[in-house]
Amino acid sequence: MADDSDEGKNQSRGPHDASRRRFLKGVGIAGAGAALADQLLIEAQAQDTKPKDVRTLSGNVDVTLNVNGQRRKAKVEPRTTLLSALRDHLEPAVTGPKLVCDMGTCGACTVLLDGKSAYSCLVLAVDATARQITTVEGLGGPDAMNAVQTAFVDKDALMCGFCTPGFVTTISAYLKKNPNPSLDQVREACKGNFCRCGTYPRVFEAALAAAKSVNRES
Amino acid sequence: MQQAPPKKKKVRVPRVVNGVETMVEIEVDDVGGPSWGPNDKHTLLNHHLRRVDGPLKVSGVAEYTYDKRLSGMLHGRVLGSPHAHARVIKVDTTAAGRIPGVKAVVSITDKPVQPAAAATGVEKPAEPKGTFVHFAGEPVAAVAADTPEIAQDAIQAIKVEYEVLPHVVRADEALKETSPKVYPDGNLKPRDSQGYATRVAAAWDKCDVIIEAEYRTPIIHHASLETHGHVVDFRGGDTATVYASTQGTFTIPGDAAKELGLKESDVTAIVEHMGGGFGSKFGIGIEGQLACRLAKQAKAPVKLMLTRRDEFLLAGNRSGSWQKFKAGATKDGTLVALQALQYQLGGLSDGSQAGQPYIYRVTNSYRERFAVFTHEDSSRAMRAPGHPQASYAIECLMEDLADKLGMDPLEFRKKNLRDKVYHRQLDRGAREIGWDRRSKPAGGAAGPFKRGIGCAVGTWGGGGNNQCKVDVTISRDGSVVVAVGTQDLGTGTRTYTRAIVAEELGLQPKDIIEKIGSSALGSANASGGSTTSASLAPSVKNGAYKARIAVAEKVALLLGGVKPEEIKFADGNVSGGGKSLSWKQACAALPAAGVTAQGLWQVELSATGVHGVCFAEVEVDVETGRVRPLKMVHVQDIGLPLNRLAVESQINGGMIQSLGMALWEERVMDARLGIQLNPGFGDYKLPGTAEMPELVAIIDDDDKREAVIGVGEPAIIPSVGALANAVFNAIGIRVHDLPITPDKILMALTNRRATT
Repeated sequence: MADDSDEGKNQSRGPHDASRRRFLKGVGIAGAGAALADQLLIEAQAQDTKPKDVRTLSGNVDVTLNVNGQRRKAKVEPRTTLLSALRDHLEPAVTGPKLVCDMGTCGACTVLLDGKSAYSCLVLAVDATARQITTVEGLGGPDAMNAVQTAFVDKDALMCGFCTPGFVTTISAYLKKNPNPSLDQVREACKGNFCRCGTYPRVFEAALAAAKSVNRES
Repeated sequence: MQQAPPKKKKVRVPRVVNGVETMVEIEVDDVGGPSWGPNDKHTLLNHHLRRVDGPLKVSGVAEYTYDKRLSGMLHGRVLGSPHAHARVIKVDTTAAGRIPGVKAVVSITDKPVQPAAAATGVEKPAEPKGTFVHFAGEPVAAVAADTPEIAQDAIQAIKVEYEVLPHVVRADEALKETSPKVYPDGNLKPRDSQGYATRVAAAWDKCDVIIEAEYRTPIIHHASLETHGHVVDFRGGDTATVYASTQGTFTIPGDAAKELGLKESDVTAIVEHMGGGFGSKFGIGIEGQLACRLAKQAKAPVKLMLTRRDEFLLAGNRSGSWQKFKAGATKDGTLVALQALQYQLGGLSDGSQAGQPYIYRVTNSYRERFAVFTHEDSSRAMRAPGHPQASYAIECLMEDLADKLGMDPLEFRKKNLRDKVYHRQLDRGAREIGWDRRSKPAGGAAGPFKRGIGCAVGTWGGGGNNQCKVDVTISRDGSVVVAVGTQDLGTGTRTYTRAIVAEELGLQPKDIIEKIGSSALGSANASGGSTTSASLAPSVKNGAYKARIAVAEKVALLLGGVKPEEIKFADGNVSGGGKSLSWKQACAALPAAGVTAQGLWQVELSATGVHGVCFAEVEVDVETGRVRPLKMVHVQDIGLPLNRLAVESQINGGMIQSLGMALWEERVMDARLGIQLNPGFGDYKLPGTAEMPELVAIIDDDDKREAVIGVGEPAIIPSVGALANAVFNAIGIRVHDLPITPDKILMALTNRRATT
């Protein structure tokens, strides 16, 4: 990653660590460390109705997420990722960030946490309550696109479009930090995003064109 | 009274057989209708058009199947077998069903599912009564629950008892007599043969140079970013809507109706936007069958999108290949004899491979094709099924022969390619890449970083057929709607559909509304084999033309009674007889219902058969074995390019996907366990931004055909061979199996040092 401060995207240690998230997400209580699981069960409002022979790490927590400047309430589980909270638990859903790999390898779920890009599939929803969450929808709508979005359309930097929200978000955040990137810096900044249709050269073009247009305006 | 049969007319259309193009005369109904006109005279088509759905996609507003959220919708999950071959003794779903929030559980022991692809002409396994799984990951059960988290818990609570049976997942092992048999007849199935083995045998004496070689390509994955899946909106009752991530809107209702117990006409399929398919998404597949069963059981909508892991394990793949050659040429570079043994490695299905010697002219050739079966998920069509495999192998062989003859590989190819279009394209590509800079001899450059340049050639049919019905409606307020049930896979269908109508009516794309992606609209073909645009575009053109004539007839009087066919539609105006009306003024003259025309396919607006060449330059670090792609050039003819921007994007995409196939991608199997070891993007290496070379996509405008063909498949065919040959040119040694990873390069270099 060009910017080591970006969370989740550099497989960093700490509360957003991939291994912890996958651990919580993937295993039932039987397989989880007892201390950690107990703590989470206390956090959650464990349901009494659960049959005794099936032990699952379920139970809901009320959270308020600050998404694109709006306070949004949702019921999630301790193991619910921020990505799943946005897509599956908020009503109405926020589906710009895409679920593609669900393990922090492809970048399609990229959002901004307090302005820094992060894989939302590697962040637990309960850990994101104090953050300003910006999704691609928050960067600009179809009738009011930001410079990166406009450049993506102009340069045909998308085909099926499933990776596009991730790329747009990553690049929008990156240009804030580095308004005059070189081609190699753009490649480096997007290393954490995959596209399968094969739009990379035009994604690079779009990023460079967006940088130019922003600089012209300012 | 019966109608008189339509008048006939003769048209000349191009046909390409084995890469050689000839014009043939065919007879078609003379229905009048439009022609495209010269390729350089268009006002919108053949220009750089922005994608009309671009703003929706860059802002996250475009709604894909995966994004669908319906009220009361449940989330589905699939449980796959951990064994490559087993009898399913018992599926115990009791515990799963008791988890609060679980609304439906189905198992294949209740009712088997139909695989998405299967081998043809083979006897089904003669196994005793019971339920069997034949590859690791094959679905055994599925659940639907209130949340994805609960669905995951439920899957983990299902207990399955298996009797594990012997398996085979490697082609070379499958060919052994002692191997477990995938089908009762065995693991080797002859597919076809062509040519005369005896003539080839007699021709070896005439060759000055003979080489024997084999080339292999592994099974690779489509890796569409949107996984396979559906949202089945069925709440009991007589109708259902199925949102599908599919390449064929009209392939969904029939399959779904069968599962739901409804009439096909009562099921509507919706494909608003879809996140990639590359050949893997036709019909509802196993996951769709399970989603329907869950919805039916729960009487509630079910979203079942495969997880990434399941996508790798059970959603198809590109068949691998193993091709053995003996080939000979004379000193002047003429191919005299070629013998090929081609194995198609398609897991449980046939796989695919274009026949050798592909597009090359060889005086005496003989080839045999076989399918080799293994306990692996069935292969499916993947972008130009069978062609990258065949092109890669023959292009390596051509390069190796040219090298042995001491001939320029470009001249060697020209000598053996009859079709002059290839000669033109090879010259163009050679100029662009700087062919003269290539390493002579191969591997001859000094120092540890060795650069090399390679080239290769490909062909594809494409073309269209009569499957699209396009409705063009013009209303009195001037609004124009073009409606057809087709789908846009990211190929730009929406954009050119609008542009064709806009150009015909003298308007701009923004003035047109396109409605696609619904089986309730006019029929359209599935997007496979690069046939979408050659089927759809002529039908859209035909509909737009008819609508224009209908408007002209209504406004002729306003323009002083000019003949309708003499009225001009341009720049937003309708003019004739020295008078001019704005589009809105003209449309105000329409009847209250406006005008509607139905567009049908016209054969002469489409063509088949394309040529493409690719050149690649790489740098190989002979100390680490790392290959760095530097530049790729692809030259492609496609008749009339509907949207140059989208065509260039597709050519770029073909080159990038071939980079993956040539250098990084491979399904890695554990032979003993029979499971895939890399079913995720962490371990399955896709091309990324860091590896991107400079890419040059060139549309061959010397192709003057005024016809639409299609470019999806051709863009991926020659580039794999070009990359492999660039590596050969850099290091002077052939790596005989893909992907060309550092370990193979280091091994090849070590072996050479050992033998010299």
